Amino acid sequence: MLSPVATVQLFATCLGDLIFPDAVADSESLLRGAGFQVEFPRSQVCCGQPAFNAGHRGAARRVARTFARAFSRKAPIVVPSGSCATMIFHYLPDLLGCDPFDVWELSSFLDENGAEVPLRNKGRHLAYHDSCHMLRELGVADAPRRLLERSGATIVPLPRPDLCCGFGGTFSVRQPEVSVAMADDKLAGAARADALVTADPGCLMHLRGRAEHAKWAVPLVHIATALAQGVA
Amino acid sequence: MNKLEQPAERFRVIARGTLGRGRTQAALDLATGRLRGNRLAAWAEVDDVEALRERAHEARMRVIRDLDAHVEQFTRAVEGLGGHVFLARTAEEAREYVLEVCRRRGARLVAKAKSMVSEEIGLNEALEAAGVRPVETDLGEYILQLAGEHPVHIVAPAIEKTAEEVAALLSAVDGSLLTPDLEVLTQAARRQLRESFLTADVGITGANFVVSETGSVVLVTNEGNARLCSAAPPVHIAITGIERLVADLDDLAVLLRLLGRSGTGQRLTTYTTLVTGPRRAGEADGPEELHVILLDNGRSNLRGGRYEEMLACIRCGACLNVCPVYRRSGGGAYGPVYSGPMGAVLVPLLVGLEKAAALPHASSLCGACTEACPVKIPLHELLLELRRDLVEEKVASRWERWAFAAWSLAWSSAVGYRVSTRLARFGQPLGGVLGPGRLWGGGRALPRLVRRFRDR
Repeated sequence: MLSPVATVQLFATCLGDLIFPDAVADSESLLRGAGFQVEFPRSQVCCGQPAFNAGHRGAARRVARTFARAFSRKAPIVVPSGSCATMIFHYLPDLLGCDPFDVWELSSFLDENGAEVPLRNKGRHLAYHDSCHMLRELGVADAPRRLLERSGATIVPLPRPDLCCGFGGTFSVRQPEVSVAMADDKLAGAARADALVTADPGCLMHLRGRAEHAKWAVPLVHIATALAQGVA
Repeated sequence: MNKLEQPAERFRVIARGTLGRGRTQAALDLATGRLRGNRLAAWAEVDDVEALRERAHEARMRVIRDLDAHVEQFTRAVEGLGGHVFLARTAEEAREYVLEVCRRRGARLVAKAKSMVSEEIGLNEALEAAGVRPVETDLGEYILQLAGEHPVHIVAPAIEKTAEEVAALLSAVDGSLLTPDLEVLTQAARRQLRESFLTADVGITGANFVVSETGSVVLVTNEGNARLCSAAPPVHIAITGIERLVADLDDLAVLLRLLGRSGTGQRLTTYTTLVTGPRRAGEADGPEELHVILLDNGRSNLRGGRYEEMLACIRCGACLNVCPVYRRSGGGAYGPVYSGPMGAVLVPLLVGLEKAAALPHASSLCGACTEACPVKIPLHELLLELRRDLVEEKVASRWERWAFAAWSLAWSSAVGYRVSTRLARFGQPLGGVLGPGRLWGGGRALPRLVRRFRDR
C-alpha cells in the first residue's frame, strides 16, 4: 500500500481523452479523494493498442514510444481502462524493449490502496461488465465489484459474465454483425439493472453505441463515473 | 481445390446468415453453454487441474519436438504387429492411399467413423467419385451426410441442428414420420446404420491419438461406432494428423483424463478403444488388414517456429464452446472443416494466410479460448501473431496498411495528436460515411468527439 500524499500519474487513454473526458475527470477526483497527488503528463497520447491488436507492430511501436517518453518511472501510472493497462503491462516492454511499467487499472489501484469511495449508489442495482483483458490478463474481477458495493450498490449478476461484449478493436468493424449481436447479448443480460458499469472505454463506446441505436434502456456508465458521481 | 481455403468475405456472409436464424442461434447457445458448463464441472473435480494441464502440454510438446523419431518408432511398432503405416505428405497422397486400398479390395461400401482429417482431405468426395459409397456412422456426421452439409463443430458436428430438423432427415430415410423425440431419433439412426457396419468392405476411422511405444490407435467415442468400424469390416483404415502421436500409455492416460472432461465434461467417454494391430492368428474378430495414415499436409512446417504449440491441439472442442464469436457466427463461417478459435489459428497455418485471411481476425481476442484449452495453447496470442504476419507479409490490404501508418505518424507526437484530433472533431460529420465509420454505424450510434480532457 502506498502512503497517502504519494503521487500517481494519470493516463487518460485516447478514448478517455477524446470520447469519455468526464470519466477521466472522475478518475482524477477519485484518486484525489483517496489522498493521492495526481499528475497528468501533458505529452501523453496513446499506448498503441489499436494498431498492436490489428497486427501493425511498426505503427504500434511508433505510438507506444509516446507513452514511454511521457511517463516517468518514479510514480505509479493509473489507467481508467483495463485493456490499455493490459497493453502497457503485458505487451509494451516486449514491443519497445524496455523495463516493465508500474501500471494499474483504476479500480484495482483504488481497491489495493483501500480507497474510500463516496456512498453515492445506495439502493442502486448495478450490473458490472468484465472487460476481457482486465479479467483474463490482469486477473481483476473482484476489485471493481467491491468498490461498487462500497459505494452502496447491490451487484446484479450477468447471466454469462465470461462472454465478451463484442468490441474487440477492429473486430467491431470487420465483423460488425457478430459484434453487434454480442453487444445485444450483454445488454439483454443487464436489462433489469439500473446501469451497466464497465472499466473499459472500448467496451463502453461499443455498448453505448449499440444501446443508443437499438434503444436499449439500460444506461452505460464508466466505473469512475459510477463511483465519483453515482448512477442517476 | 483445397477444402481449407477461404474467400475473404466468406466468414461475414455465412455468419450473417447464421445470425438470422433464430432456432440455430438458440441451438448454438444451448449446446455450447451446456458443454462449457460440463467442462467446468469436470475440471473442478480434478485435484489439480492446472498441474494436469501443464503435464499434458509437456507430453504433447515433447513428442512434437522429436516427431521424426516418434513416427519411426510408431511405424516399427505397427509393422511389428502386422499393420501398415503410411506417411502422407499431402491430402492427395492420403486420398490416393485410401482409394488404392479400396480398389485392391474391390470395395463398394465404406463405414466411416467421425474424422476431421477425412473432412480436411475431402475423402468422401473422393470415394464417391471412385464409385465407393461412404456411410458416416457417427450420429452427428450421419445427420449432416443426409443433409448434404459439413460439420460445424469438431466434436459435435451437427450442433446447430434442432430435433425437428433431425426428425425430418431421418424420416425421409425411413419413409415414415418420426417424432422429434431424442430416444426415437437415436433408435431410428441406429437401425438405419446397423446394416452398413455389417456389410461394409472397409472401415475408416480417425484416431484421437496414436501411441509410439505400442503402435496403438486410440479411438474415443460415445456411440461405439468407431469400434464397430474398426472391428467389423475386413479392412480398417485409421487416418489422423501426424502430430497426434503420444509417447506411451502413461502420457495417453494424462491426455485421456483431459480429453473427455474438456470436450463433453465426461471423465471418460463411453468407449475408449485401443486398436493394437490387425487380427492375429487364432483371434475370432478384428480386421484382416490395418492401415494407419499419418497426414502431414502442412503440419511439419509449424515445427520449431512461433506456431509450434498449435500442434499440441487434441481437438477437444473446448475453445469452440467458450468462444463468444463462434457462439453467434456458428461453425460454418470458419469453413467446412475446422472452426472456432482452433480453426482460426490452424487453417491459415495449413493453407497459407492469403487463402484464409479473414480467420485471424474472426476473434475479439477475448482470451476465453486460451483459458479453456486443456493443453494450454495460447490461442489468442497465436491469433495476434497471425495478424502480425498478415501485415508483414502484405496480405492485409494496402489501404489498411496505409491507414495505420498514417495514424501512427500523426500520433507519434503530442503535437501531431492534438492537431489530428482537432481536425477529426471538425470532420466528425464524415465519420458515418467513411469505411470503418460506415461499418460501425450500421448497428451502433457513432461516438461523439467532445472537448478533450487535456483541454479542460
